Amino acid sequence: MNLSRLVPASGKVRAGLIIAIFFVLLAAFGPLLTSYSPQASGTELLQPPSGTHWLGTTQTGQDVFAQFVYGARVSLGVGLVAGIISQIVSVLVGVIGGYFRGLSDDLLYILTAVFLVVPGMPLLIVLTGYLPSRGMVSVAFVIAITSWAGSARVLRAQTMSLRRREFVEAARATGESRTRIVFSEIMPNALPLIASGFLFSVIGAVLAEAGLSFLGLGSLTTTSWGSMLYFAQSAQAFLYGAWWWFVPPGLAIAVLGAGLALINFGIDEYSNPRLRTGKSRGRATRTSGPHAAALSTAGAAAAASGVDAPGTAPVLHEDGVGEVAGTEPSEGAAAAAQLRPIDVAGEPIIEVRNLKVDYPGIDRVVHAVDDVSITLHRGEILGLAGESGSGKSTLTNAITRLLRNPAQVTGGSITYHRTRARPGGSRGTDPGSAESIDLLGLSTEELRGYRWDEIAIVFQSAMNALNAVTSVGAQFDDVLRVHRPTMPAREREALARTMLEKVGIDSDRVSSYPHELSGGMKQRVAIAIALVLEPDVIIMDEPTTALDLLIQREVLDQVMALRDEYGFAIIFTTHDLSLLLEVSDSIAVMQRGRLVEYGPALEVYAEPRHPYTQALLASLADMGALV
Amino acid sequence: MSTDFVKASEQGRVVLEARNLVRDFRTNKRAGAFGREQFRAVDDVSLELRAGQVTALVGQSGSGKSTVGRLLAQLMPLTSGELLLNGERVSATRGRAFIRYTGTVQMTLQDPFSSLNPLHRVSYTLGRALRIHGGPMSADEVEERSLALLRKVELAPAEHYLHRFPHELSGGERQRISFARALAAEPKVLLADEPVSMLDVTIRKGMLDLLDQLRRTEELAVLYITHDLGSARAYSAQTLVMYHGKVVERGSSEQVIDSPAHEYTQRLLAAAPNPRRRLAG
Amino acid sequence: MKYLLRKVMLYVFIAWAALTMNFLIPRLMPGDPVALLVERLSGRIDPAAMDAIAESYGLTDAPLHVQYWDYLTSLAAGDLGLSIGFFPVPVSEIVLGALPWTIGLVGITTVISFLIGTGLGVVLAWRRGSRTDHLLPALTFLNAVPYFWMALILVLILSVNLGWFPVSHAYEPGLVPGWDWEFISSVLYHGILPAITIILASFAGWVLSMRNMTVTVLGEDYVTMAEAKGLPKRMVLVNYAARNAILPSVTGFALSLGAVVGGSMLTEVIFNYPGVGYTLFEAVQNQDFPLMQGLFLIISLAVIAANLVADVVYVFLDPRTRQEG
Repeated sequence: MNLSRLVPASGKVRAGLIIAIFFVLLAAFGPLLTSYSPQASGTELLQPPSGTHWLGTTQTGQDVFAQFVYGARVSLGVGLVAGIISQIVSVLVGVIGGYFRGLSDDLLYILTAVFLVVPGMPLLIVLTGYLPSRGMVSVAFVIAITSWAGSARVLRAQTMSLRRREFVEAARATGESRTRIVFSEIMPNALPLIASGFLFSVIGAVLAEAGLSFLGLGSLTTTSWGSMLYFAQSAQAFLYGAWWWFVPPGLAIAVLGAGLALINFGIDEYSNPRLRTGKSRGRATRTSGPHAAALSTAGAAAAASGVDAPGTAPVLHEDGVGEVAGTEPSEGAAAAAQLRPIDVAGEPIIEVRNLKVDYPGIDRVVHAVDDVSITLHRGEILGLAGESGSGKSTLTNAITRLLRNPAQVTGGSITYHRTRARPGGSRGTDPGSAESIDLLGLSTEELRGYRWDEIAIVFQSAMNALNAVTSVGAQFDDVLRVHRPTMPAREREALARTMLEKVGIDSDRVSSYPHELSGGMKQRVAIAIALVLEPDVIIMDEPTTALDLLIQREVLDQVMALRDEYGFAIIFTTHDLSLLLEVSDSIAVMQRGRLVEYGPALEVYAEPRHPYTQALLASLADMGALV
Repeated sequence: MSTDFVKASEQGRVVLEARNLVRDFRTNKRAGAFGREQFRAVDDVSLELRAGQVTALVGQSGSGKSTVGRLLAQLMPLTSGELLLNGERVSATRGRAFIRYTGTVQMTLQDPFSSLNPLHRVSYTLGRALRIHGGPMSADEVEERSLALLRKVELAPAEHYLHRFPHELSGGERQRISFARALAAEPKVLLADEPVSMLDVTIRKGMLDLLDQLRRTEELAVLYITHDLGSARAYSAQTLVMYHGKVVERGSSEQVIDSPAHEYTQRLLAAAPNPRRRLAG
Repeated sequence: MKYLLRKVMLYVFIAWAALTMNFLIPRLMPGDPVALLVERLSGRIDPAAMDAIAESYGLTDAPLHVQYWDYLTSLAAGDLGLSIGFFPVPVSEIVLGALPWTIGLVGITTVISFLIGTGLGVVLAWRRGSRTDHLLPALTFLNAVPYFWMALILVLILSVNLGWFPVSHAYEPGLVPGWDWEFISSVLYHGILPAITIILASFAGWVLSMRNMTVTVLGEDYVTMAEAKGLPKRMVLVNYAARNAILPSVTGFALSLGAVVGGSMLTEVIFNYPGVGYTLFEAVQNQDFPLMQGLFLIISLAVIAANLVADVVYVFLDPRTRQEG
């Protein structure tokens, strides 16, 4: 999402820079292009643009082009001076208040609030109304006074969030002084905000100056874009249709403002080094998504140019796990996949065959899921193990059809076997009659009916998966309204209450909001919502990783009990192999997009065959885990 | 195996001692007209860190274990209690005294992705730490010592890492840079707050082995803050278990984990994922 | 409700600060403009007016705190002093006459442009990556257009050239204000063009901010979960994405009110629309300081009140602020 937004952004930035540079050049050198003085009146009154007067003349015969270029100097000058002053004030107030907190921050906060809420333009008008002499500098100063607050507020919030970041605490722990932390740890990170705040102050100041001058409150002896509009207005230029008089200054203000806003779009890109050295690596090690796969597949040696072959160093410093296993870490030499027959009683419900999911990268295609075949049977718990970047989330997202751009399924199939009739379901089938559905071929509309009814999901972090602004009940209710349209409201609520009780939560919590629940309770609510349509399959994506050990155990026990009651099948994803070994019927181990070991859990545990699985189990044992 | 070293380690000299640490936080709940309700995050915690020995502080999130780490690092003031560094009472949460204190006691943080400033190269991060604690030195000297630090944390070739930005490194590499930064001060005490919890399983062992090695070669007193009893057993001589701000159990790691006395420790151990459970059942 | 209480206290403080600013500005400005004014006007206007001016500026020799107290007590009684330009009409009377026009025009248009802008922002966010993205530069441009210039252009095209709308005034000159259809229809007819200019000049800002917020929110897990639940697109977009993305927009709405009011004031000047902005413009031109101050005070209080309303709405939209403690 980020990347696709940045690509057109750079085009916008280029346009913005061209606009800004054009106006700066116009202000600097424009007056050299004209022989007229902006104030001198002439004999040709109110003439449209011509060869002698490029932008025509005013009512008193002044040359509009001369006024326009001299006015550019004044307007830009006021904008810059006001922008600089206002930004200095907001940096001082925002960064200092945000970092040092305490009483001074409280006072600064209230001061900011006052200037934020009190409307700037009327204050500006009143202040300039009292100014004894209205030079452009004093106008700029007054504009700055009325405009710093918005930016200060944003900077304060940013500083407060930065000072909670671990690198600030780490710098403190290293012994850095406070001033140094403010100036070299926090400020550089706030720089994009300061820059964009500056651009907005400049736009604001140019607009404010134009507004003031337009009201006749600026310096009317100085020509600015605003005062041009003032004279055009008082001469009723628009009644005469003298567009050449009032169109250029207003258009210039709008274009300049748009240009600065466009530059703003790209400020992040220039100030954030993450975007400097190749975008695909930006989030590589951070997420377990596609980008991580990019890193692993490319191998550390290739991705970070200049890394010597890891094999030469007798140390284990890369995420590439091959080294731990003592196998060749380079690509393509991985040991063959170790597949064992699965011995589960139920009929197959999901069959994944030779699935391939690719992420087209900048210079190479990354195979996030590479030729993976697995089968989930009714009532089976299939454990899917793998570290960040192994492709396990990509695999489950392919099954649930939740892959995001730019991921593409490039091969293989996913078949869903639907058998039972659905009580109250909108599209019942005869009990016992099997129906094989090509999941990847479903249209969006067909997919909707099958989602949650057949396959539900429990996300890793219920904190993020529950909608914070609606009640728990509402989040049951919308599923039921959509999938059980004939169910009356009272029944829907009763069902939600029953489901909550099933997961050990008081049914009155149906009217609670997510923030009123503890982490473990939220995860239980998420499980209850997943169960509400009694799906045949539940995909659990690291459902207990964010939980404490004791709560994890409770939630697991609950899931097992519910599985016994409802008989759904589970695909259980986690990096915690010992947990999987304990709960699952069969285990699939993924590494770099490939399935490396697949078989009954007990067999994999007793006799891991693939070197990677062996290494995983060995390192678990070394770490003192109970395996 | 690391456990052998742990067993072999003698009772070292006490470097940092904490006596009856208490830390209260103000909550957002108001109490009375002006006051705020207090929340006791750390309640009467005492511990000793010995040279060349790893002490594990085990607890679930919210138990107060990380707060104990920050109190020991003097990143926040104590509500009550005292800290003794080499037997002398210290209280220095700011100013020169604090910088002097950080020369002996260093802390590393949990999240390798956010504990390095994304805008600074490794060379800056290490260079600052060296200059703060080593006094003025030439650029060449800083570089040389930075390279030595990188080698010490087994990042090879060191030259390759020196001019990298954090986002160009993997999680494990970043955590090693954090260790290198801490070592720049040539500390006697290293407080490691969950050093491996954000890392993939297969690289955790390497990280803890490094910690173990540093303990031996640098004679470091290490506080290993973790939620994982298993790794505490494998890598530390002493283990303290925290629950709701209090230390509920302490002793040698083997004793605490193999035969836990407190009911909470027992529950924790029983809750740990255990494939053998199935074999037995 | 403590959240709301804290907000109310903050706004009460801000209102007090605005009152005090209003008191201090004429006394602190360099060069003592009031004394200059009095000097300039003496002999040219009614001596009674002179006294009124002197009094309203506390050109008595009373100490500052006594002047301040007098200022606050007369404010509490609704006494804003006498206008110079329209002597001896009380400032409060002029302000009350202008206020309905502005609240009618600016209030309604602001709400309309917020609704249009926010709705469009959500749609653009949902369709990001498609052709609708090409609207963004145009919206950025529109957002930077000064209100009053937009008004000038529209007057040129729609009134002067096409003759669709009247060029100025709030109603046909010569009509007697009253609750009859002739008057009301005239007001509506005259109001269309100013309303269009304000909406055109202000809605793009809402679009841009709402689009950005929604794009951010669309990446959140709860939106993915809503999609996985098999909910219709509209439901995902409205109940999950927009419902969360609108929260910062509501705060933004409150904070940009000041800017909208300021911009709309200039629009009033162009249309000779008898609202607060136009009156303020006249007051400044006549150097009618009591009127200027009275208007500033009323505008500030109105914006503060609108902020408070936005905060109340916010409490309804975000359950987290309703948490006790």
